[in-house]
Amino acid sequence: MTDELDPLIHVPTRLKIVATLAALPDGDTLSFTRLQDLLGLTPGNLIIQLRKLEEAGYLSTEKTRNGSAQKTTVALTRQGHKALDAYTQALRDLLGGL
Amino acid sequence: MNHTPDTSTAVGNGRDFDPRQAAALLDQTTQQTRRKLAPAQPWLLAIRAVGVLIVLGACWLNVRGQHPYQGPTSAVGPFVVVFVIANFVATVGVRMRATAGVSGKSRLRPAEITVLALAWIAVFLIIGGMSIAGVSGAAIYTLVPLTVPLILGGLAWAAINAARKDWRPFGVGLGVAVVGAAGLLAGVVAAWAVDGVGLCVVLLGSAAAIVWRQRRSVVRP
Repeated sequence: MTDELDPLIHVPTRLKIVATLAALPDGDTLSFTRLQDLLGLTPGNLIIQLRKLEEAGYLSTEKTRNGSAQKTTVALTRQGHKALDAYTQALRDLLGGL
Repeated sequence: MNHTPDTSTAVGNGRDFDPRQAAALLDQTTQQTRRKLAPAQPWLLAIRAVGVLIVLGACWLNVRGQHPYQGPTSAVGPFVVVFVIANFVATVGVRMRATAGVSGKSRLRPAEITVLALAWIAVFLIIGGMSIAGVSGAAIYTLVPLTVPLILGGLAWAAINAARKDWRPFGVGLGVAVVGAAGLLAGVVAAWAVDGVGLCVVLLGSAAAIVWRQRRSVVRP
């Protein structure tokens, strides 16, 4: 029944990551620490999931260094937005048929 | 969507992840994120709406029987000052907390800050110009400060958000400008009441629009 759903997004943790980033205003990015705070994930778990999504081209990360502190920001790419739209449409279709 | 899954027990991969659970989780996460990242919180807008109605309403009750017009008595002053300071502190605090870790286009750009600053500078230029032209004190010290900042500030805010295609704050800016114009036409005494009621309505409308957007389902059209 879930074959139509993108397997990369159809995992609770990754769905939460993608949904959180998609809720940002267009052109905005979110810091790694705020994303972690919003999702309540451990840094290790979040890094693993972000890496999978980044490898698929669904999100982009940018590291900036300010003195000794390093800041990582995350944003959903256009491809990521399209994938979530397609996933949401597939969910609608599935739920409409239930 | 009434059912909300317990994500702490949700499966770690998608095989046993039911579409209904996924839809609920998608809606729940989207709504929570919109709520937590909103720089303008509906509860704060609602409190501000009631506050502005009480403060400006008290000023109107204070001045409505005056012949000739003398302005609000000094007894009202402390309430206005406390309201302005509390409103400013709460607004800045909530905004800083909501936008922590967020960067990008939603932040005000230097050109937009300049437009807002110019709108405020224009208010002082108008007051100065009227003073030089010999316009009466009531108009300079009550009617203009009560209405012109709303007109110019509202229009500047509306223009900035029209350029961003962000229609809720655009509507707020336009609404504030209309309230200012109505106050200007109403005259020096009635302007207090028009501003109080008008700003209360605009703020409550904005709060309602934010709540509607935050609760809107992503999955269910």
